[in-house]
Amino acid sequence: MRQRSLIAITAALAAGALTLTACGSRDSGDKGSDSGGTTVVIGVDAPLTGDLSALGLGIKNSVDLAAKTANKKNYVDGVKFEIKALDDQAQPSSGQQNASTLVADKDVLGVVGPLNSSVAESMQKVFDDAKLVQISPANTGPALTQGANWQTKKERQYKSYFRTATTDAIQGPFAAQYVFNDAKKKKVFVIDDKKTYGAGLASTFTAEFKKIGGQVVGTDHIDPDTKDFSAVATKVKNSGADVVYYGGEYPQAGPLSKQIKASGAKIPVVGGDGIYDPTFIKLAGANSAGDLATSVGAPVETLASAKQFVADYKAGGYKEEYAAYGGYSYDAAWAIIEGVKKAVEDNDGKLPDDARAKVTAAVQNVSFDGVTGKVSFDEFGDATNKQLTVYAVENGAWKAVKSGTFTG
Amino acid sequence: MNAIGPVEPGEGTAVPRPAGRRPGTGRDRRPTALRRRPLAAALTAALLLAAGVCLYATRPDVPSPAPPTPPAPSQLPFPAQVVDVTFVGPHAPPPGAAPQFFAFELLLSVDAGPEVTVTRVSQPYAGMSVATAPRTPFRTRAGAARTIVITLHVTECETVPENDGLPFLDVTLRNTRAIQEQSFILGPRYAHALSRALQVACSNDSG
Amino acid sequence: MNELPQQLVNGLLLGSMYGLVAIGYTMVYGIVQLINFAHGEIFMIGGFGALTVYLYVLPDGTSMWVALPLMLVGAVIAAVLVAVGAERFAYRPLRTAPRLAPLITAIGLSLALQQAVWAWYPGAKESINFPEIAGGPFEIGSVTIQTGDVFLIVAAPISMAILAYFVMKTRTGRGMQATAQDPDTAKLMGINTDRIIVVAFALGAAFAAVGAVAYGLKYGQVQFRMGFILGLKAFTAAVLGGIGNIYGAMIGGLVLGLAETMATAYIADIPGFDQLGGQSWANVWAFVLLILVLLFRPQGLLGERVADRA
Repeated sequence: MRQRSLIAITAALAAGALTLTACGSRDSGDKGSDSGGTTVVIGVDAPLTGDLSALGLGIKNSVDLAAKTANKKNYVDGVKFEIKALDDQAQPSSGQQNASTLVADKDVLGVVGPLNSSVAESMQKVFDDAKLVQISPANTGPALTQGANWQTKKERQYKSYFRTATTDAIQGPFAAQYVFNDAKKKKVFVIDDKKTYGAGLASTFTAEFKKIGGQVVGTDHIDPDTKDFSAVATKVKNSGADVVYYGGEYPQAGPLSKQIKASGAKIPVVGGDGIYDPTFIKLAGANSAGDLATSVGAPVETLASAKQFVADYKAGGYKEEYAAYGGYSYDAAWAIIEGVKKAVEDNDGKLPDDARAKVTAAVQNVSFDGVTGKVSFDEFGDATNKQLTVYAVENGAWKAVKSGTFTG
Repeated sequence: MNAIGPVEPGEGTAVPRPAGRRPGTGRDRRPTALRRRPLAAALTAALLLAAGVCLYATRPDVPSPAPPTPPAPSQLPFPAQVVDVTFVGPHAPPPGAAPQFFAFELLLSVDAGPEVTVTRVSQPYAGMSVATAPRTPFRTRAGAARTIVITLHVTECETVPENDGLPFLDVTLRNTRAIQEQSFILGPRYAHALSRALQVACSNDSG
Repeated sequence: MNELPQQLVNGLLLGSMYGLVAIGYTMVYGIVQLINFAHGEIFMIGGFGALTVYLYVLPDGTSMWVALPLMLVGAVIAAVLVAVGAERFAYRPLRTAPRLAPLITAIGLSLALQQAVWAWYPGAKESINFPEIAGGPFEIGSVTIQTGDVFLIVAAPISMAILAYFVMKTRTGRGMQATAQDPDTAKLMGINTDRIIVVAFALGAAFAAVGAVAYGLKYGQVQFRMGFILGLKAFTAAVLGGIGNIYGAMIGGLVLGLAETMATAYIADIPGFDQLGGQSWANVWAFVLLILVLLFRPQGLLGERVADRA
């Protein structure tokens, strides 16, 4: 009897699993058939599950909105856009697999993503070999576009890689300037999570903070898998620091900020765009008031185009927030759409045979007014529009306190 | 191993469970069929449940594809979104000026929207002050660009870092839409020029 | 200022939590020789059980003094139900199967539970805030203790005492000891070993649930993956203390917690070790300690109490 019930349960589970699999693929199965023209797929790679899914789902939905808007306007004659979103779980290995998957799908003419710089590193070459354009809405590591020696000798890494976000080369120093000159904090404790993004940001911050006369009274690196930072918090308290800079993302930054304040050190935690998310405030609790984050772009409320985006996003009925990178993702997707449009128009209204290469070349030269301002790319693939904003936690929400424009 | 059950009901084994028996169905069925029924029921339930879950899970994100509203007619832009300030180069100081004074040329342009007024230009360090020519406030029309000269004066060398990597100017901008303070980070050439000028200014403090 | 006392307290607190979870590993292993890798998820379920009571059962604004005992009950019920269910449907059918089969089942169950919570608990795709106990931190000399930690300080020793009493004095507890020593003989002596095994799973789950409530109060949040790393750490603690030994689990937890905290706080200060210190290296040092202990005492710090079966 035991054997039997086991078999019954296993069979039921297997049947259920099979049904689920079948229905999972239903989505993509019935789409392409109902359009007469060509279908172009925009790939999306972002963490759609896990700690960073709030950001990743915002990216996916925003790209979806861009594709739908283009279809609605019939922006590229005879071309219908679809998205294909893959989950990289913020893991470089998954990112690379996804990159191969997207390259293998011949309808994919451009990819938006990823969120994490470390994931981008694993994807760049795969896309470049396939001449498939990739635009990241969120990568801020300078080395991705300008090479590992970007401080001394800038060198374009991959012709197919672009980004709409501003790099850490500006973000870290801008935070240092704000902390030192506006917040008047002179002694910093620097913590990072050892990942490409976090460590890079912490080092650009540290370099500038020292240059302008600040003092680094301690450093530590945390393990992003744990939630117990009490030992680090005690170190921070005893270091006499009056501010903490954290290079990393909100799933760790929130508890870290909370535990630092709990240790008795009532000092602000400062971070980059990786902590600029409402979840940070939720995790850090009531004592997070006064914590600071720099993020790329101008505050949404000062951009007319962004307001339009916010309204459309709401009207689109998406379940998740567009989060920190929504506008950048929309612009990244739109840059690909512009690239496809150019490629099609140059080829008498049809997709050329070497569409991927043509789209990549076209993206290099796009220029349009996007959600986040003027969108175009420089010789390294970086966004030419380099605005950034310092936000502070006030009454349980992020509030813009200072904005800057890089015009170098 | 004998899970299927006897083919012919043995004595006492064929008695169907009273609860599971419906009139007219029990007698002519073999016990296996009876015992299969819960299995089949479980399978059906699981399938139905799975189908339901999957229908629920994959229900369209967009209940009714609400038409994205067409772009709103020209809302006035915020000043910081239309103003660009770029570094041109060092400006020759007036003859006989002390090295604590040095000047740079900037180009300020307005892309679009209403006229923009620059009401204030400042920099972050306590040991330094800044003056502009033309004096603030001054106005610039959309589509126009004007050269402005900023003159920096170092009063206390200790509080001014000599090799700031990302120096910026805080510029207060106003148009009919809003007043905004924006930091313009003028890039590596400005950083370099500023750092060189500061080294000259602060090398001979006696002046 | 001397930070040693504070770091010791940090380490003991972290270690108590490891210990509470480690008890479940060690009891189940002691009785059925199964490393129940789903135990970390039982811990997680406990956290969500407590949260469910707070969010969906109690009216808004219930005082924590009232809510906390009820949340504890909710946590224990949720964790015990899942643990007993897992034993009944996942492990019992495989009891006579080769050792690897239940182990792999445990790993599968662990993933399944994680994904189930992720998929079906409202809002569990991100961390969910756990209620906090109001009131400022307590300062004792140079040591600061958070209100959330007070629960752990109180609950951990009480749980240990209850467990010791149960195992030593009650009939069921002695039955457990007997089953651990020799299940076949125990069965012959009239002990219902099936029941004993269920009790072992249930007790382990209950302690994990207490640990989960402590986790929620301490860190102010629960998330579907909270059991994974903590479960591994607790398993390490159980091995460190001597798997199969309930006191060893607690001692192993404390030692592990202290080792991690000390490594975070002081390794970087040793000349030449500045690159090997800090919190990201704490796990490495904790495992170095584990390897050293196992090299010299393969049976763990306290050793397995039950007689070794051939």
